[in-house]
Amino acid sequence: MQGGKAVRNKLWIIALVIVVLCTCSCTHGQGADGSDDTVQREVFAMDTVMIIRATGKTAQTAVDQAVAEINRLDALLSAGSGQSEIGMINLNGEGELSEDALFLVRRSLEFYKSTEGAYDITVYPLMKLWGFAGGNAAVPEEGRIREVLSQCGSDKLRLDGNRLILGKSQSIDLGGIAKGYTSDRIMKIFEDNGVTSGMVSLGGNVACYRTKPDGSLWRCGITDPEKPDDSTSLLGIVSVRDKSVITSGGYERFFTDESGKKYHHIMDMKTGYPADSGLLSVTIISEDGTLADGLSTALFVMGEEKAVDFWRGSGYSFDFVMLTADGRLLVSEGIADSFESSTAQSLNSRFRIVR
Amino acid sequence: MNNSNKKKFAGIRADIIVVALLVLVGAAIALGVFLFSGKGKTAEVRIDGKICARYSLSQDRSIRLSGAGGGTNLLVIKNGEAYIAEADCPDGLCIRTGSISRVGQSVICLPHRIVVEITGDAGDGNDIDVFVK
Repeated sequence: MQGGKAVRNKLWIIALVIVVLCTCSCTHGQGADGSDDTVQREVFAMDTVMIIRATGKTAQTAVDQAVAEINRLDALLSAGSGQSEIGMINLNGEGELSEDALFLVRRSLEFYKSTEGAYDITVYPLMKLWGFAGGNAAVPEEGRIREVLSQCGSDKLRLDGNRLILGKSQSIDLGGIAKGYTSDRIMKIFEDNGVTSGMVSLGGNVACYRTKPDGSLWRCGITDPEKPDDSTSLLGIVSVRDKSVITSGGYERFFTDESGKKYHHIMDMKTGYPADSGLLSVTIISEDGTLADGLSTALFVMGEEKAVDFWRGSGYSFDFVMLTADGRLLVSEGIADSFESSTAQSLNSRFRIVR
Repeated sequence: MNNSNKKKFAGIRADIIVVALLVLVGAAIALGVFLFSGKGKTAEVRIDGKICARYSLSQDRSIRLSGAGGGTNLLVIKNGEAYIAEADCPDGLCIRTGSISRVGQSVICLPHRIVVEITGDAGDGNDIDVFVK
């Protein structure tokens, strides 16, 4: 009798354990996105949507600090706001720069020189003329373009200590590197807080801190410029750790005229028109987010040949993925092993590793 | 003695059947939840960073969303797709984005701080962590 009861009890316990395990595995499977100490927030700033994600005991503090930093820099750097530091300088033609803005203006001037003007923060009046800085986007009169263009150029800016003096009718926009810089600042916040894993997407400008919580690399899907709204159609995937991945393309902001011609927001300061360099998209991968942001724009304006020369000779440390208008995908050798693309590699002739 | 032994074994046999049934039911529930959560794609609505609602793409409906600053957007779910049909935002970009139905796709209305994103199991093995654009 005793033995029979013991067997019965055992069976019941086993049954209960199995049922509980099944139920647990179900609920766990649903919420298995990252570990339990992962914190994620979505915020709206710098005219876009931002996602901040961090893992670790200090993740909440780090994410809160990151959001505060985003808002601080947004208030400081916005070109169009009359209250921001940059907005005031645009209004008054000159002014004192605080630490962050001074750093960004200095780097902008450095990029202006190294890219031979392909990156130029004095683009703002041209952006306004084309309606890309608020207002109605439309093709301006040829004469107006030439007039505005003649006043542009970072060579007319004067930096005297921390005092920036603009040229006649000039105004500046740090938007070309502000997000990259912001992501650099957030990586610093992650580091200072001892976060174990982190990632930010500032409106599609991505920066990854260390690896994913499970130790694997972050898989960053690069938008297909021909199908920007289709997340299943990708140019490719780069797997990285401790890198910024930033893309510039004509598909981000554009308008179409009556004849159906597209005009995008990346200006070529040599013509005053949207850059038409034969590149559809340029992605820069670098540890330096500010650099990646600035160069994605600059290389898009330069076009294939100049961009490759620049990569070889500039002395900057970065990799690229570029798509040309005739459908070729160029990947620099440093990232080639971490890059996968189902479409491009099957069309072997259209995929080239640049060395 | 013999008789009582028989009874005992009959009792254990009944227990085994009950236990087997329980395990089967448990497995069926697990499988059901697994399949359901995998297949059921939903449109997740976030307003100013907070998840407000999730709507199954398998059920047609229209939902009026009130975004930040008092603006409204009309979210329509039809034939397994989600789109913004009407909006009183200044740019109307959310309407121009068109229909979304694949996991990871989203419609964003910046002025109203609304994000509608398709969530669920992508099932294409691409498992992208983040989209660069």
